[in-house]
Amino acid sequence: MANEEVVDHGRRRFLTTTTAVVGGVGVVAAIVPFIKSWEPSARAKAAGAPVTVDISAIDAGQKVTFAWRSLPVFVVNRTPAQLAQLKGLAPRLLDPDSSDTAQQPDFAKNETRSIKPEWLVIIGLCTHLGCVPDFVPDIKPEPFDANWKGGFYCPCHKSRYDLSGRVFSGVPAPKNLAVPKYHFIDDTHIQIGVDPEGKS
Amino acid sequence: MASTLSRLGNWFNERAPGFMPMYRKHMTEYYAPKNFNLWYYFGSLALLVLVNQIVTGIFLTMNYKTSAAEAFNSVEYIMRDVEWGWLIRYMHSTGASLFFVVVFLHMFRGIMYGSFKKPRELVWILGMLIFLVLMAEAFMGYVLPWGNMSFWGAKVIISLFGTIPFIGDTLVQWIMGDYLPADSTLNRFFALHVIALPLVLLLLVVLHLAALHEVGSNNPDGVDVKHGPKGNRWSPDKPKDAIPFHPYYTVKDSFGVGFFLMIAAFIIFFAPTFGGWFLEHDNFTPANNLVTPSHIKPSWYFTPFYAILRMIPSFFGTAIWGVIGMFGAILLLALLPWLDQGAVRSVRYRGMGYRIALGVLVVSFLALGLVGAGVTAELIPAWFPGADVTTVENAFGRLMVLGYFGFFVFVWIYTRFGFEKTKPVPERVTMHD
Amino acid sequence: MIKRYLSSLALALGLAVAAAPALAAEDGEDLPPSGANVYDQASLQRGARLFFNYCVGCHSLKYVRYSRLAADLGLSEDEVMKNLNFTGAKFGETVVSHMPAEDAKGWFGKEPPDLTLEARAKGSDFIYNYLNSFYLDPSRPVGWNNTVFPNASMPNPLWELQGLQVAVHPEGKAGADAPVEKLELHTKGSMSPEEFQAATRDLTAFLEYTAEPAALERQSIGVWVLLFLAGLTFLLYLLKHEYWKDVHEHH
Repeated sequence: MANEEVVDHGRRRFLTTTTAVVGGVGVVAAIVPFIKSWEPSARAKAAGAPVTVDISAIDAGQKVTFAWRSLPVFVVNRTPAQLAQLKGLAPRLLDPDSSDTAQQPDFAKNETRSIKPEWLVIIGLCTHLGCVPDFVPDIKPEPFDANWKGGFYCPCHKSRYDLSGRVFSGVPAPKNLAVPKYHFIDDTHIQIGVDPEGKS
Repeated sequence: MASTLSRLGNWFNERAPGFMPMYRKHMTEYYAPKNFNLWYYFGSLALLVLVNQIVTGIFLTMNYKTSAAEAFNSVEYIMRDVEWGWLIRYMHSTGASLFFVVVFLHMFRGIMYGSFKKPRELVWILGMLIFLVLMAEAFMGYVLPWGNMSFWGAKVIISLFGTIPFIGDTLVQWIMGDYLPADSTLNRFFALHVIALPLVLLLLVVLHLAALHEVGSNNPDGVDVKHGPKGNRWSPDKPKDAIPFHPYYTVKDSFGVGFFLMIAAFIIFFAPTFGGWFLEHDNFTPANNLVTPSHIKPSWYFTPFYAILRMIPSFFGTAIWGVIGMFGAILLLALLPWLDQGAVRSVRYRGMGYRIALGVLVVSFLALGLVGAGVTAELIPAWFPGADVTTVENAFGRLMVLGYFGFFVFVWIYTRFGFEKTKPVPERVTMHD
Repeated sequence: MIKRYLSSLALALGLAVAAAPALAAEDGEDLPPSGANVYDQASLQRGARLFFNYCVGCHSLKYVRYSRLAADLGLSEDEVMKNLNFTGAKFGETVVSHMPAEDAKGWFGKEPPDLTLEARAKGSDFIYNYLNSFYLDPSRPVGWNNTVFPNASMPNPLWELQGLQVAVHPEGKAGADAPVEKLELHTKGSMSPEEFQAATRDLTAFLEYTAEPAALERQSIGVWVLLFLAGLTFLLYLLKHEYWKDVHEHH
């Protein structure tokens, strides 16, 4: 039988711990590439790149939907009559001053929630559960609102938004419709996904 | 902290009283001979590579597309667009080749030290089944990138089944689900490669280890440590020449793993195609059913068996002899415990005839690998100017086929009829360091 | 112990050395080496410029994104979009030639292949030598032939740079089937032979890059991985040595 005292337990513990720690670092380092492989791939990023859209064919009062990162982006050419309704709606809205900064870039923190007053650029997904709201532009009584001034109406759970995408009080949706980053390249083209300063 | 841990341990033991004894049986109280040498690293390394293949394989399936139209593109998508996808793919492709390197060496160890002999025949048979499933697994994985070598490799290998009399042609169409390897073939191979065969493989590996732990490991001296003197510093009634697997062989195998990972990392980062041996040039061209690659050959780990197939000519109007030879080459290995009837296990104490025969087996196997890979066909014109390449290659290849099969015939006669003059086997194991 | 590990190391090295000639033999054709250097960024940039000026008319690089090119070749988005992208593709899109496949089949008998993986399928040496081995051959449908890839269906895209080469046949032999002894420059191009070789070397390096963009980063990562593993293996050796004192003293 060998003598137990011969064993240097301190050295053993030190070597075991050191090797375990270094080996553990190696294992963690080896796991990182596997975790990173779940991030959006180059193809997904390319598909999510800023898109440039031509808005010259959108007549006053019309809405056209574009796709950006697979999301529906509404571009609405609002008439002066529609814009005139916005101010008076404030008492009926949940967040009339767009104080929730996550819902729009700073440039759209105004009554029209836009860069140019007539052009509304907005992500067409209801902030309740993500349905695509209907565009109901006419200023006339509707079955869901006798005092309708034009806006968006979500068919899923009856949330209502005005023509700046601001949500009404007392509906299921908790926030205003989100405004994406965008800027005007010229009078007839906007690029969605890039701030006016050019930062994406 | 310590008491929390021990309380947790108690909690666990009360609810699963069988687990701790199981851990002890297979780790701390699994006594292995203390004289394992270099050759004994390859078992644990094979397990490591298996884990690597499963993990990287799972991540590859997350981006691979199983269709003839999309498969090739999706592999390039993994290589370029997926973050670190190239690393995961190279780990899988390099792992596949290293799996065979490790398994071949592991098998050779078994032959060299007589580990297949009584009472370990079951361990050996289970190991041979693992080898067969592994070959099927590797072949189907090779088809998945749907490059031109994948396509034609699939075509040629599946055609082997066409040589079976009467049912051959029907069988070939049934395997492919089409008239050529096609979308349906790719889909069923994918299913087999990623789930069916890995499950079988895992089950067989568990059985292989369980069977081994029933009878205990052999060693380079082929001495039965269980029948030797008893009592060691860890236990009074365990074999004197054995040591607990944990910690002694876990630390030793870990060192082997470190060394092996360096070799693997070198290949993955500096030579992932390994000069066209691990990833072939022609497989970077998409599958094309109208153009066969000019150098068609299987992956390197199949080349010895492929050479046997090619070297055996067809006669009586059928090519089945080559196919029988190829599968027979594997079957004979499985039958080794009954062909080799010598009483001495380890080559260290066996007769000169056996040692020479073993050398012939190794040389023939490697040479057949070169023939199958087409290396000899390239070398012959340089070494024998003016000679007819096919004639020389066939003569050489057939000699090597003879060497391979000759080993089994010789060993049977040599041991069955008492020709072997063995050396005295020591009572105790020997250490050589 | 040490002796045994040294012998195992020697075994591994021996196997590697033994494998080397076989590895070299694998590449087969005895073509002069291209000398292309995929790690030379300036060479890749020049090669890219050549590709997008002379090749992309017919050949796509359908797995290569312009954005990735910019990042890997050290170019800005503007430089890539102005100097390399003539197809109107978006920055994140891949390089797809605008040649209609049907027209190509009519002109060349087959569709020009995608070149993304050409360097991995055929090798850099093949590409380099192929680009240098075009010669005029009136017997061919497009009037060109190639000594490295006989009866190639493609005309020399770089003839303005290289000039026109003609085949020199051995004494007493002539005609379309005669073997080619060497190629001779018949009409000078805008580049000297040396300049042209350097240019095709750049183009080869660029195609080597497109075949495996990961090659640019893989080796530098590999150095760190190997250093780490060497350290870990050394620690594991010490650990093993420490525990095995129990076994050895007992022996």
